[in-house]
Amino acid sequence: MDGIESEQVVAADAQASGGGGAGSRTPLLELRKMSKQFGPVQALSEIDLKVYPGEVTAVVGDNGAGKSVTLKTISGIHPPDGGEILWQGKPVHIRTPKDASALGIETVYQDLALCGNLDVVQNMFLGRERTRNHLLDENSMESAAAATLSSLSVTTLRSVRQSVASLSGGQRQAVAVAKAVMWNSKLVIMDEPTAALGVAQTAMVLELTRRLASRGLGVIFVSHNFNDVFEVADQIAVLYLGRLVASLPAKGLDRQVVVDYVTSGASSRNGSQLAHADGA
Amino acid sequence: MTIASAVGELAPAPRPAPTPGRVWDIVLRARELGILVVIFAVFGGTTIYNSSFASSASVQQLLAGASIYALLGVGETIVIITRNVDLSVGSVLGLSAYVVGEVFLHNPNFPVPLAFLVGIGVGVVCGVVNGAIVAVARVPSLVVTLGTLYLIRGVDALVVNGVQIDPSSIPGGFIGVGVNNILGVPWIFVITAVVVLVVGYAMRTFRSNRDLYAIGSNPAAAELAGVPVRKRVFWAFVFSGAIAGLGGALWLAQFATVASTAGSGYELIVVSGVVVGGVAIFGGSGTVLGAALGPLLLNTINQALVAARISAFWNQAIAGGLLIAAIAFDRFVSLRRERNLRLRRAARGA
Ligand SMILES: Nc1ncnc2c1ncn2[C@@H]1O[C@H](COP(=O)(O)OP(=O)(O)OP(=O)(O)O)[C@@H](O)[C@H]1O
Ligand SMILES: [Mg+2]
Repeated sequence: MDGIESEQVVAADAQASGGGGAGSRTPLLELRKMSKQFGPVQALSEIDLKVYPGEVTAVVGDNGAGKSVTLKTISGIHPPDGGEILWQGKPVHIRTPKDASALGIETVYQDLALCGNLDVVQNMFLGRERTRNHLLDENSMESAAAATLSSLSVTTLRSVRQSVASLSGGQRQAVAVAKAVMWNSKLVIMDEPTAALGVAQTAMVLELTRRLASRGLGVIFVSHNFNDVFEVADQIAVLYLGRLVASLPAKGLDRQVVVDYVTSGASSRNGSQLAHADGA
Repeated sequence: MTIASAVGELAPAPRPAPTPGRVWDIVLRARELGILVVIFAVFGGTTIYNSSFASSASVQQLLAGASIYALLGVGETIVIITRNVDLSVGSVLGLSAYVVGEVFLHNPNFPVPLAFLVGIGVGVVCGVVNGAIVAVARVPSLVVTLGTLYLIRGVDALVVNGVQIDPSSIPGGFIGVGVNNILGVPWIFVITAVVVLVVGYAMRTFRSNRDLYAIGSNPAAAELAGVPVRKRVFWAFVFSGAIAGLGGALWLAQFATVASTAGSGYELIVVSGVVVGGVAIFGGSGTVLGAALGPLLLNTINQALVAARISAFWNQAIAGGLLIAAIAFDRFVSLRRERNLRLRRAARGA
């Protein structure tokens, strides 16, 4: 089973621009010594992370390791209180979700942040509705939403005018992802997108995730499920108690090494292969 | 699970043929239509029993009697859609009726349109107070408007005490709005219908009003999407206040007197009416058309009982029963939806 998965990762990797080495390419997003404190809790300390376009960067770690907080600092919900964020090589300040959207960063939150009473189109355009002569332009929104969904090959929806409450978990996830993609985003952040899904729906979301990367978008993918992580990730970053303890290319990586980092913050296995975060 | 089989999963599902169950679903969702059918059924049934029920005077009385409740229902709906509630509408109506009456007492020639604006203004002031406390201080609206319900009623009782306003103090033109008909339809009903149509249209076509549904459906998601949640909630209360203020002026025009109890207890009738009309008490769904039809249904039943010479006690019992039936019905529809979802998922998993 391991063998099959890594073959697919290799195949997917071939489409991405560069491959494993971080060398000369400019990261889409770079965090430098980013820190975040909540009162006495040091949620993040001096995180360094690089996210490249066309790659899926998985962020893993135990409960409370700081994964969600990391995402929220990038998406403008919890602006960092130390360190730097570089966007396409230039320092930026992201203070609100609007700032993040303006840069091309869209987030699919852990709880999806969809409105059950609204339909698929209304959700995809929530807060950014198109208008024409100051009136909602339903037709243009409907066709844009449908086009985005079909470009992502999401075809299981009966209608884009269905309320989101009537969708299955996987369909909701697909809508949330499509919503993130529709805004010409360059970086899509997904917090545990497969946590509540069954086998088939998980596969659909993973496929969707790969498709975003092959379109040249950067993707940050948070998950507790190593099967999912190894199926989609190009890079795997490990958080341990608010620190980034490893950032490793996924190709050919021994799963047990990741387990070691997640559980103890260090690994003695295969040390020579590892591009340690601090060294890179 | 391999990616290849995942792609298979994405192939278009065969379109399910419409089953009787699906048709039933569509019927269940058209709440407004359902209420209209019930209104006509009650009306028809009562007419068979007592033919004078269908006389034009009786129908005019029916429409005029429901109008103020339906009007307040429009404002209440906007607030309830945002997952809040405005319990102060009855008290605001009473205060507005008093203030407009007082204006006429001191200026017998006060222009009629301006008098309505005065009523609306009183409502706006009350709405600003409600909205500011709810949105800025983030106190639950149930508590805030329960407070203003008693506060405004108290103010009302203090000021109305001793003031004598009777039809002779109020210009005939103003009273005409409350009691006259145009082409056989009560003016007060026409005004309500216009408000329902305009607000109903605005709710469907303006961006800011889409936000109201989002706020009631998932406040956190609305906030994340950049919706100015507090601002919208504030304005929802101001709007509800304005409508209650207009209702106060119409109440004065209809009854041509001022009492400290004007509008007392209206809040419960209005809230039950809009819930019967399909506005979910948890927010996020409902239309102003439904909200206006709910009170019309309650009033039709009320009048039908009178025409059938059934004790007034039954009126309240039936209103209560309908309210519970409406909520049970909503629950049934959503359970049915969940069950359908499970069945579909199971069918796909197989
Ligand atoms: N808004 C907040 N206020 C205070 N502390 C917070 C807040 N959000 C997160 N924390 C703290 O920051 C730390 C990291 O939390 P975070 O949510 O990032 O964990 P996580 O890695 O996403 O865990 P999980 O896998 O359970 O989702 C935890 O100790 C948590 O208690
Ligand atoms: Mg988390």
